[in-house]
Amino acid sequence: MTFLEFHDVVRQYGSGESAVLALDHATFDIEQGELAVILGASGAGKSTALNILGGMDRATSGSVTLDGTDLTKATEAQLTDYRRFDVGFVFQFYNLVPNLTALENVELASQICPDALDARETLDKVGLGERLGNFPAQLSGGEQQRVAIARAIAKNPKLLLCDEPTGALDYATGKQILQLLQDACRQRGITVALVTHNSALAPMGDRLIRFRSGKVTEIDANPNPTPIADIEW
Amino acid sequence: MFVLKNAWKTVIRNKGRNILIILIVAIIAAAATVGLAIRNAADNARETGLASTSVTATIGVDRSKLMEQAKSSSSSSSSSSSSSSSDSKPDFDAMREAMENSSLTLADYEKYAKASSVNVGTYYSESTGVSGTDSFQPVESTTSNSANSGSSSSSSSSSSSGSSSSGSEGSTQQDPGRGGPGGDQGGMQGMTSGDFTLTGFSSDKAVAAAKNGTFTMTSGKVFGYGTDDNGKVIISKALADFNDLKVGDTITVTNPNDTSKTYKLTIGGIYENTTSSNTDSAGPMGGTSQDADNAIYTSVSTLKSLGLDSTTTAADDDDDTSTQLSYTYVLDNADDYETFASDVKKAGLDDTHTVQSSDVENYEASLVPLDNLAKFALTLLVVVLVVGAVVLIVLNLFNIRERKYEVGVLTAIGVNKVKVAAQFAIELLIVTMCGIALGVAGGAAASVPVSNQLLASQVSAQQTEAASQQAQFGRGADMGGGAPGQTSQQGESSGSNDSSGSSNGSGSTGANAAPNEPGGMRGGMSRAVDYVSSINATVNFKVIGQLILIGLGLTLVSALVGIIFVMRYEPLQILADRS
Repeated sequence: MTFLEFHDVVRQYGSGESAVLALDHATFDIEQGELAVILGASGAGKSTALNILGGMDRATSGSVTLDGTDLTKATEAQLTDYRRFDVGFVFQFYNLVPNLTALENVELASQICPDALDARETLDKVGLGERLGNFPAQLSGGEQQRVAIARAIAKNPKLLLCDEPTGALDYATGKQILQLLQDACRQRGITVALVTHNSALAPMGDRLIRFRSGKVTEIDANPNPTPIADIEW
Repeated sequence: MFVLKNAWKTVIRNKGRNILIILIVAIIAAAATVGLAIRNAADNARETGLASTSVTATIGVDRSKLMEQAKSSSSSSSSSSSSSSSDSKPDFDAMREAMENSSLTLADYEKYAKASSVNVGTYYSESTGVSGTDSFQPVESTTSNSANSGSSSSSSSSSSSGSSSSGSEGSTQQDPGRGGPGGDQGGMQGMTSGDFTLTGFSSDKAVAAAKNGTFTMTSGKVFGYGTDDNGKVIISKALADFNDLKVGDTITVTNPNDTSKTYKLTIGGIYENTTSSNTDSAGPMGGTSQDADNAIYTSVSTLKSLGLDSTTTAADDDDDTSTQLSYTYVLDNADDYETFASDVKKAGLDDTHTVQSSDVENYEASLVPLDNLAKFALTLLVVVLVVGAVVLIVLNLFNIRERKYEVGVLTAIGVNKVKVAAQFAIELLIVTMCGIALGVAGGAAASVPVSNQLLASQVSAQQTEAASQQAQFGRGADMGGGAPGQTSQQGESSGSNDSSGSSNGSGSTGANAAPNEPGGMRGGMSRAVDYVSSINATVNFKVIGQLILIGLGLTLVSALVGIIFVMRYEPLQILADRS
């Protein structure tokens, strides 16, 4: 059975003549343990798809099933639970809580998830073992993004959703972040969905899903993903 | 638990903002503490002041209402009188008649006592005038003797005492219906002057409340109230010395309007007034019967046996004798007084009569500054709380708008909105509770001196007001008081007394018998009331409890605003705005 099924999903903003279709009958699957790269230009609907996958947005029609759970039929409270237990989010702008230290930001995950990973250990793994007590404002962009990844991974989620994680970072830092994500997928077996507009990243995933104007135009399985270190852009 | 933990961390890490909020809340709480403490203390003072002490009440006539009724009845009978009232004389006869009829009889008083649903004690005294004989003469000087010959002077003084009744305890019950408004016919309907005032008392309590104040027995003892002691009287030491009398002697007095009627009385005791001020205040204007030394005390039973009691004298048609009845109700406390007043109204007391209590009125008067202060405290409290609520809500709103992003992040990673809202509320609560604790401490330290200071200014404001009133009416009273012998001005002077008596009546103390006497016309109608000048505005647990409740209420209200905001936020929206 398919781990993640995104079937014939329509997401419509507004109604009547001014209605805009952000997703126009988009359909794709992602298998468990895969790293899927969702590629598309700005406004192609890839972020909308990711938000629906993350339980922050709802499909107008169609069905989204993750590990047997139908998100389109879930209540608000069920969606909150889904966000809490099943998905980890990595955003373009890190979205850390400014009042909390790096460690406390990661501890948020263990506070809300019963089977969370140890926060210190996770931070150590992303290379921030020395910066536990720093506030987000005292960390660089790359470091903040690593805290965000640590926070997402610490929840031990079924699905890790990354929305342009390197969008605000320079080349070298971006590479480190992508390496972390690839490692999370390879070493922990977490399913990762990575949204980017950078087509150079396409070879790093097991699967490539290409969006254009709200439609899925291409789904490519990649049996031999390229290690991040070998990717140049 | 993590909600609490995170709330605490956020509070700790936003020191500047939170200290600001703590300061604002502390100031609000301190002001509220003072306000609450003052109100609390004022309530306590009011409750405890009269709760345990017994209250005496009387039934008095509301003369202005009586006049209105008389006027309206006379104007309805002749339609032209109302239009021409400005140039034609008022209908004196109708008004006098109305006042004559307004007097209550002993039976009336007793009926009202029975009608009361609360425990009520009663006592009364009856006064009438009797004249001396050759062998028994009143204490008097030559000037007072001459003044006594003008009957209008004594009648005008009795009318003035009636009008200032609310202020002077002793004179309250002097039957005002008998005293005319002063002037030519006053002597006919007024209290029969005579040389002596023969007063009958119903009980020891009545004696204790005697118009001339308390006295001590120098020899003999006070009469009993049964028929066995009929004919026994006590006289003042001055009168005894003047006539060279001692205990056991018999005196003979006559009816002032009919010297053929004589009454034989036995001296059972000789007393001396404790307050000597009453004896000399009669002055040249008073009749000798007004002189405290010429007061003969006896029991009502004696008066009845002599045919001089109020029921008998009111029943007979001839005007040769009249007796003033003074009836007093004793109630256990102020609450009973209120009940009694309403019971009496229900029992059929008409609008022209009012139940009055000089005890209650004096106490109320002494509480005026405290009441003003309590009102001020309430205003302060309301203003402070409204301002406080607005400030807290605004601060909290800004706070939450600023941390909108945090709300978005927390809800995006799956924290319940309710928990996010709870965290914000707890943060606010921690901060406001710190502020309230500080404010209560500061307010508790400040409330006693601050409230006493405020009360002192209220008292002085009240005294200034009273003083200006006194100055105003003091001038008016000088007109009559300066020329005591001129009968042409008597009506005018008693008229001015009326107005000052009614406006200042509640302000003069119960011990102040001055308006009762003709000498009272010389100004000084209203003496300074012994205002409640200190207030025990200590902060007790009740105040602290109220304050914490108020603080909780304010916090919840402002937190609610924040919660509504949090609930409205959609994580996607916030995060999208951010990007």
